[in-house]
Amino acid sequence: MALTKNYGLGSEALLDAATELVERAFERKTVSEAEATITLTVNSFARFADTGPTQSAERAKLDVHLRIRREADGQIFEAAASGQALDEIAMDKLIDQADSIAAISPAVGTPIELGGTVDVSTGSCDAATLTHGPGEKALAIKKAIAATRAAGGTPAGLYDTTGRAVVLANSRGRQVRNETTRASFALTVTGPSDDGLGGSGWAECIRGSVGELDIDGVIERAIAKAAIGQERGAVEPGDYTVVLEPAAVSSLLLFASYYGFGAKDVAEESSFLCGRIGEKAFAESVTIVDNWNHPMYQSRSFDGEGSPKRVTPLVTAGVLENPVTDRTFAVRTGGQADESTGHADTQPSGGGPSATCLCVDAGRVSSADLIGGVKRGLLVTQFHYTNLIDPREMMLTGMTRNGLFLIEDGKVIQPLKNLRFTESLLRAMANVAAVGSELDISGALFDGEVVTPPLRIDGFRFTSSTDF
Amino acid sequence: MTDYMKLSAAAVEAANKVGADYADARVNLLQLESYGLHNGALENASVSEECGLGLRVLVDGTWGYAATVGTDNSALHEVATRAVNAARALSSARVQHVTMSEDDVTSGEYKTPVQEDPFALSAADKVEYLQDVDKGLQGEESIVARDVSMGIRRERQWFAASNGAEQFQELVRTGAGVSATAAKNGVVERRSYPASFGGDYRAAGFEHVRSLNLAEHSTQVRDEAVALTSAPVCEAGERDLLLMGNQLMLQIHESVGHPNELDRVFGHEVDLAGASFATTEKLGNFQYGSDIVNLVADSTAEGGLDTRGWDDDGVESGRWHVVKDGIFNGYHTSREWAHRIGESQSRGCNRSEGWYNPPIIRITNLSLMPGKWTLDDMIADTEDGVLCDTVKMWSIDQRRLNFQFTTEIGWEVKDGKKVRMVRKPTYQGNTPDFWRSCDAICDESHWRLWGLPNCGKGNPMQVAEMSHGCSPARFRRQTFVV
Repeated sequence: MALTKNYGLGSEALLDAATELVERAFERKTVSEAEATITLTVNSFARFADTGPTQSAERAKLDVHLRIRREADGQIFEAAASGQALDEIAMDKLIDQADSIAAISPAVGTPIELGGTVDVSTGSCDAATLTHGPGEKALAIKKAIAATRAAGGTPAGLYDTTGRAVVLANSRGRQVRNETTRASFALTVTGPSDDGLGGSGWAECIRGSVGELDIDGVIERAIAKAAIGQERGAVEPGDYTVVLEPAAVSSLLLFASYYGFGAKDVAEESSFLCGRIGEKAFAESVTIVDNWNHPMYQSRSFDGEGSPKRVTPLVTAGVLENPVTDRTFAVRTGGQADESTGHADTQPSGGGPSATCLCVDAGRVSSADLIGGVKRGLLVTQFHYTNLIDPREMMLTGMTRNGLFLIEDGKVIQPLKNLRFTESLLRAMANVAAVGSELDISGALFDGEVVTPPLRIDGFRFTSSTDF
Repeated sequence: MTDYMKLSAAAVEAANKVGADYADARVNLLQLESYGLHNGALENASVSEECGLGLRVLVDGTWGYAATVGTDNSALHEVATRAVNAARALSSARVQHVTMSEDDVTSGEYKTPVQEDPFALSAADKVEYLQDVDKGLQGEESIVARDVSMGIRRERQWFAASNGAEQFQELVRTGAGVSATAAKNGVVERRSYPASFGGDYRAAGFEHVRSLNLAEHSTQVRDEAVALTSAPVCEAGERDLLLMGNQLMLQIHESVGHPNELDRVFGHEVDLAGASFATTEKLGNFQYGSDIVNLVADSTAEGGLDTRGWDDDGVESGRWHVVKDGIFNGYHTSREWAHRIGESQSRGCNRSEGWYNPPIIRITNLSLMPGKWTLDDMIADTEDGVLCDTVKMWSIDQRRLNFQFTTEIGWEVKDGKKVRMVRKPTYQGNTPDFWRSCDAICDESHWRLWGLPNCGKGNPMQVAEMSHGCSPARFRRQTFVV
């Protein structure tokens, strides 16, 4: 099968195929439950740098995942197989593979039955994004390169458009499908230097359609952040009041998404929530919700078990709430499987449930006033290579990148050489002094994105410095 | 010629017909098996298979790439047209033509040497192996998570290019590992063997998994995890740093491998992964490390995760010094990048993650050559140090200078003796200062390759595998932080 974006995403047809796969599996006498997940991804991207476009791809892929269960002597045996085709031969091969592994596997400890019928949003697919091609991307790339060179900098960036259809069907009648599109444009501008260690600036715009992208705004912000021609100062490591822009906040909070807000992390005593649920551990101005349906997210409406994703409070006015669950942990935490908050990974999975659509509530302070309220501090555009030292205290370390500035008497006065921070997310969130009013969505080096306003945080700890 | 090689060749021909100046095509067939026990229960038993075709073209000095799932011959014209049209459209924004080095064109076949076919072993036998390992992890109340896992991978690739190259490769990789997480008194600590994040991987058959002898080590893993929960935190201060191989391998990867990728040096990865301090004027004269530091890149090394016949430019594998007697000596390059440093031939480092992705420069197997010390003598020669073992956390700036690493476990070394276990040993430093402080490297009897199966680079990000060989080494007066 040749899949291109010209064929559209067709989640209805994919759901029919998933249902057929489940029915074929269920025809086997050995199979007691079956669940099929199919994901179609159609992607077009173009990267660019000083030489022009450097890399691109026009591509599509299909991932077919089958999970089956066998029942024997009151015990459940489970396995999964994945492939990339939907013809009858491919379907039967998947069923054979999964069934043969389940046949020799040890029993699943406490299996929760698959979920039944639910009603979820089917999402929407923007045709202009799905058909957006290299020619249109070239126009934006030319503009970015020209503007960056005119400013005396060197460009590097990515223009990406993606369409994704995800469907899930199981042997208990659950049938869900969802389509999304996503468009992003990002530019990094590096300033000139004698030693190869010039300053840099970055900006990105991520939206659900190409029509919503603010290409000119990205170019303008990235060039401004590079502060070309301005002398870069240096400050000593130490505790500073910081204004973290959304990308920097995202880089910190993603670790709570990876490691903290899930019920398995709590059950295995590896979460910062342990012993703190119900406590006001964050500043009262901080409220965080997991909300797949926020307009800035291009997230599907159901999780890896086909359960509806519920909008789930995680931090309410500084108070830590219960973790998110999947069907297994909904039961283990005392509820019914159908009370899952809808945060399962594709099953079977060892990862446990996770909150992947964090939204920090906006405050009332403009970005200008966030900075205006700082006597002496730092404005941080982005953190790089943030990583986790200790999950219980959420101790993190990482580097500033693409725009670190000194603030004095409420004004941004000078670009700075970069610093390393080593700081606890718990301590940082407890020290939030003001919450910005303007939301944005951004990711970090690893997976995931967060919707957040900028934050002003007191006493943020920087532990070492660099020469650039 | 196999059907898949014919398909790759036909894709190249289709690209030439619609206007490609150069084209190469890869059909990839990737088969994976993974098994994982969590707290004794089978949490993951899965097999997967994917097959697709990726076609790269050069038109008017600009790259285009199109990829399609499956191997349908009738799709070739459309795939070729998409790739060529993309290159043509993007060339309107071109500033500089892509120029490729004229490397020797070779054809042939390469297969990972395998003694025991891992796919021939039944799933039942594999799961039973893991269950035996898990037994040694049991019996401690404070252990909250016991994990034993195994991964098996076979990648077959049929590569054809418009310069006439036709290359078939079959790469087999196996690996396994064990870990235990203990929680006590509000402290949670993990120990892993033989390495963290899923264990150790190697280009080999199931004999590699057996050679790890996980069952013999699992009880020690459990006991150390428990002991760590009551161990003191490693104190801040300046002390000698003794690194075991399963930590030193990541230090090699992050502070030598990545800054050595030539596309990073020229700013083509600065949009996500970052740039490099190891700029071209330093080549041949920069003191990267002390004079006992020799770092060798080798895509022919036995057992290396990036040991292969050719890269995805079709260039043969090779071996060269990246750092020789402490001096910066060479880069990782591709056909597109070699000429930027005046070299006429590529080092053969262009690789992609499967058929879905276009290739980029990747670190190959990169190893620190052995020295002359025994581990016992190196410890005995240390007055005040910390011996650090197994990766826990890593972070490095985007030019690969300022780094901070934490290991799973450490032992204080006082007056030549390991005296007490410490948790969360965290050291922070600067790449050239770090390598220049290396004054002792253990000998060949301590040396081994460590597999690194999860290297991320590119934008959108791709994952690649490589190995790093080393023996334990000592770095004088490093900064420990809390």
